[in-house]
Amino acid sequence: MTDYSAFGNLTIGQYLPYGSLVHHLDPRAKIVMFSLLVAGVTFASSFSASVLLLAALMGIVRLSRTPLRYALQGLRPALPWIAIFATLQLLFYQGQYGSDVCSTIWSWGFINITTCSIRQIGLMVLRLLEFMIVISLLTLTTTTAELTHGMDLLLSPLRRLRFPAHELSLIFAIALRFAPTLAGELERIMKAQASRGADFGEQGRLRFIQRTRNMLPLMVPLFLSALRRAEDLTLAMEARGYTGGKGRTSYVTLSAQPADYLALGTVCVFCAILFFLPLETLDTLIVATVSHNMQEVYSLIAH
Amino acid sequence: MIVVEDVHHTYDVDRAHPVTALKGINLHIEEGEYVVIIGRNGSGKSTLAKHFNALLIPTSGDVSIKGMNTKDPQHLTTIRHSVGMVFQVPDNQIIATVVEEDVAFGPENMGLPLQELRARVDEALTVVDMLDHRTRPPHMLSAGQKQRVVIAGAIAMRPACLVLDEATAMLDPRGRRDVLDTMQQLHAQGVTIIAITHFMREAVEGTRVIVMDQGNIAMDGPPQRIFSQADELRQLGLDLPQVTQLAERIHRRTPAFPTPLLSVEECVEELCRLPQSAVVSS
Ligand SMILES: Nc1ncnc2c1ncn2[C@@H]1O[C@H](COP(=O)(O)OP(=O)(O)O)[C@@H](O)[C@H]1O
Ligand SMILES: [Mg+2]
Repeated sequence: MTDYSAFGNLTIGQYLPYGSLVHHLDPRAKIVMFSLLVAGVTFASSFSASVLLLAALMGIVRLSRTPLRYALQGLRPALPWIAIFATLQLLFYQGQYGSDVCSTIWSWGFINITTCSIRQIGLMVLRLLEFMIVISLLTLTTTTAELTHGMDLLLSPLRRLRFPAHELSLIFAIALRFAPTLAGELERIMKAQASRGADFGEQGRLRFIQRTRNMLPLMVPLFLSALRRAEDLTLAMEARGYTGGKGRTSYVTLSAQPADYLALGTVCVFCAILFFLPLETLDTLIVATVSHNMQEVYSLIAH
Repeated sequence: MIVVEDVHHTYDVDRAHPVTALKGINLHIEEGEYVVIIGRNGSGKSTLAKHFNALLIPTSGDVSIKGMNTKDPQHLTTIRHSVGMVFQVPDNQIIATVVEEDVAFGPENMGLPLQELRARVDEALTVVDMLDHRTRPPHMLSAGQKQRVVIAGAIAMRPACLVLDEATAMLDPRGRRDVLDTMQQLHAQGVTIIAITHFMREAVEGTRVIVMDQGNIAMDGPPQRIFSQADELRQLGLDLPQVTQLAERIHRRTPAFPTPLLSVEECVEELCRLPQSAVVSS
């Protein structure tokens, strides 16, 4: 059976109504927390920090009672690409990172596999995993409506600086609102083209290349339809008296509870720890140990 | 309530080929009327409808709503709040990701306080019978339910008039019936209804039928009168409703049978009243 559901594997934007602790947090607190965690994943350049982050994220996954496989499902379509990048890194990584601590494992011509390139790949895979978990966790435990209102309220102080906070969150809301509609449409277009002989088959090891190529002729009709919808939507909004954010009131209100401040505080402290602990040194120590570079270990201990 | 005086409208998106969609429309619509506009594709129905709440401004002539000219930018918001609009594709008119928040969109634009917003949302969802679905995401609803959400969004602004431009075109018979019932209910509450349709069956729901042709009003009157002029209608590219056609054919064989008949119930009643002899003799 050919799989036409283009976004069947996409977990971003799905919501699992499990009603856990994490679900009940104020969306504003959650947005800030998860932004901090994303920053953590981005800036934690050491392996040890990444492992710590992963452990913390696993903790949050447990608290949220969402199955881990849900959070990781979104990774599946990207797996072939990850494999390619990982291989490239493995073969050609000539990084600066403590080259004196690395030892060569295997070398052939200009290809040079070292303990450092292995660390680099481990870091990359960990980071991708963490990004995926953070982003899916946020959407799995927060409804799109909560997300947009959270964003709107968080950004609203910036309105005084003429920052289009309301407009931005409206754009965000409309994008989320139309994601399932357009996904359904894409599925229809695919079926229409398949019924006229287009091949979206999934046999073969290289199917991801074919699938990517086959997406191109789908984009044109999808884009045209999106434009038509946009035109209709503009008209409908205008007819309902929309003239921008000025003078609008809001149907949805949010109120932060002590639990929200507590959760936010915990994440802040955690990120501070990641940032201020000398985790880079820990990394060097580990790599050095693994490299059997005992001299390096001695000198480090001597310091 | 709505006064249209000698309105012309020309689309000149393409300067070399301007399209004149309205060619001198004159029209008075009173408060509490249920007007149905019919006419073949491209006859200018949608263009006229968009003039009713200032989505389009006449190229020449005037449209006024409760005495407010749509050309006057000062009245724009009041006009938009007085005349609600529902379009053909329900999906493309729903803005929010939750039903009740979408219904609140119009009242939010009016700047109403929270308590009033809640009251309006409850009231509007009750009218369209969608209260049970208030927290659902719109993409999980059927087309008929979505269109009722859109109508709720319009009536939550408590407009004096509701314009529906082929609002039933994308719906299945069940969804269509629900929407038509909602329209009747609103009409009974005193809301002026203007419905555009290409289903002749729906044209008989109103108290007044306007037939448009090539940017002009070709016929205007109560449904009984309009649908007794079968030949004129055919010339304008329109058919009679099925029941009316049937009644007409019986009438041709049995002149005692009245015509035009606009509803199935009427037709059944008349058929039962028909003397046995009349049926046998023909
Ligand atoms: N946005 C537009 N730009 C240019 N021409 C238009 C536009 N909308 C409608 N028209 C033209 O105006 C005429 C009337 O269209 P419309 O009011 O949509 O008719 P109806 O709703 O009765 O089918 C048609 O000839 C149509 O091609
Ligand atoms: Mg039209």
